[in-house]
Amino acid sequence: MPSNDKNTVVLQKKPWVLICLSLVIIGLGAFIVGLMGRHPERAWQAYLINFLLWSSIAQGGLLFSVVMHTVKARWSGPLSNLAESFTAFFPISFGLFLILYLGRNDLFPWLHQDLHGKEVWLNIPFLFARDSVGLLILYSLGFLYLYHAFWLKLDRSISSGRIRTFLYKQWDQHIPDAQTCSRRMTVFGILYILAFALILSLIGFDLVMSMDPHWYSTLFGAYTFVKAFYVGLGGLIILASALHLLPEIDFRLKPSNFHDIGKLFFAFCLVWADFFYVQLVVIWYGNIPEETAYVIERTMTPPWNSLAWFIFIICFILPFFILLNKKIKTKPQFMSILCTVVIMGIWLEHLLLIGPALNPHGSALPLGLMDGLIFLGFSGLMALAVTAFLNLFPELLRVTDGEVT
Amino acid sequence: MGTEYRVMGLFTDENRAVSAIEAIKDSPWSLRRVHSPVPSHKISDALDLKKSKIGYFTLAGGITGFFAGFLLAVFTASQWHLIVSGKPIIALVPFFIVGFEFTILFAIFGNVVGLIHQMQLPEFTGLEEYDPRCSGEHFGILAACKADELERLKAFFQNRGGEINIFSKKQEHQ
Repeated sequence: MPSNDKNTVVLQKKPWVLICLSLVIIGLGAFIVGLMGRHPERAWQAYLINFLLWSSIAQGGLLFSVVMHTVKARWSGPLSNLAESFTAFFPISFGLFLILYLGRNDLFPWLHQDLHGKEVWLNIPFLFARDSVGLLILYSLGFLYLYHAFWLKLDRSISSGRIRTFLYKQWDQHIPDAQTCSRRMTVFGILYILAFALILSLIGFDLVMSMDPHWYSTLFGAYTFVKAFYVGLGGLIILASALHLLPEIDFRLKPSNFHDIGKLFFAFCLVWADFFYVQLVVIWYGNIPEETAYVIERTMTPPWNSLAWFIFIICFILPFFILLNKKIKTKPQFMSILCTVVIMGIWLEHLLLIGPALNPHGSALPLGLMDGLIFLGFSGLMALAVTAFLNLFPELLRVTDGEVT
Repeated sequence: MGTEYRVMGLFTDENRAVSAIEAIKDSPWSLRRVHSPVPSHKISDALDLKKSKIGYFTLAGGITGFFAGFLLAVFTASQWHLIVSGKPIIALVPFFIVGFEFTILFAIFGNVVGLIHQMQLPEFTGLEEYDPRCSGEHFGILAACKADELERLKAFFQNRGGEINIFSKKQEHQ
């Protein structure tokens, strides 16, 4: 396909790859400088927040394709293809998780606390064992889904590269026909959805909620995975808009595609706020000091209270009122800006959840230039992964006319 | 020349109906109305309809409802001043639920009122120039023409594979 060859050439263009690489190097540099400095815990805090955020974008991004396949949606073909490119971040995310082990002394305030029996669950070997097994299961299911999805999508006349040769060989041995393939996709898809809910809950409990080991909310897990789908959709809209707007790349979506994904993003904006509120209202009614302390610290005492309101405004109030409008949802330029704002907001939201535990006596927000640079580094990493993936499988950028099943 | 004829072309195929609509728009005849047995995006796209205003009724209803619900909760709570487990009399967090429920209720009311207003209901006289087949499986396209154009308009629909139904509308002779 000449058009897709063109796409490959554009994606391989040096400036883009160089920009991403330099972002990664800047981020890495900032992280190392932070580690060498007086407050290595600040560098680890930024690292953890970015790990959580970018992993959930990747996991939530693939979830879009999986859900669309499972419910047999027909409007989402080209967007599903793009969503699958986020799987490129899975191995990176797993590696990033393992690196967290090095920062265990700075990251887990409960290490030096009396846990009153909770140490059965909250200890470093068990935490890393269960979370890495969990992530491994989640990512394997994602790749198994992808393996079958690609059987239906890849153009087998392109035969370059070791990965493709390997895939073709495996397919010849294991997949007899399209129907079987689609059925297995559904099975692995549903398993991925279940794993998404369970594993992301686990990650939310272990890496975010445990920061304050005496506080608990049973809904925190559900809140975590809903948030992951929210940012995953945001990431997908940014990717689709960027590719749609680049004149060099032959990838054009219809306004109705943007409208539909915009509606889904809008819906999950509401679901996210709903899960937040559902937790809040129960804690408010119960009014038990061990539960309310967490909320009071984050929403009523400075410096966190202004941050909490800021997050609520840019992640819910602003998108809610803007996305009521139909026309805005069909404008990729505008939507990508809005989604970027929301993703930044969710970054800050992670800071709000994690920050007070890691900076117990701080009077100012633990936010500085280093945090921004590390964020840029991770975004460069994500951009590199997605670019490499789309280079490898340019068919994913093919927009077939009409409905794709 | 005082008689204006109205001809309805009846199609069983959506795509043919759409292409007939497109062709009538570029012709001297005027398009009066289109009936569809099912909701059709293709037809509404071809007609280039103005955006419906019903959404604004829904929005207005929703906003009114939010404040109505919130104020109802505030009003009822302030009638008693009964302090329950140390909570404030006017507590914002739980009143939000009442506000939310009323948002939905009033948005639906607004929507129904908008629907009635925009569709100019109630309508007792019934549609003139209507073919009951449009409630069955036919797409009906009503076009108007002068008497001398009648044959061409009939042929236009028939050539496109449609059946026709002719209504004549008498106008005052000059």
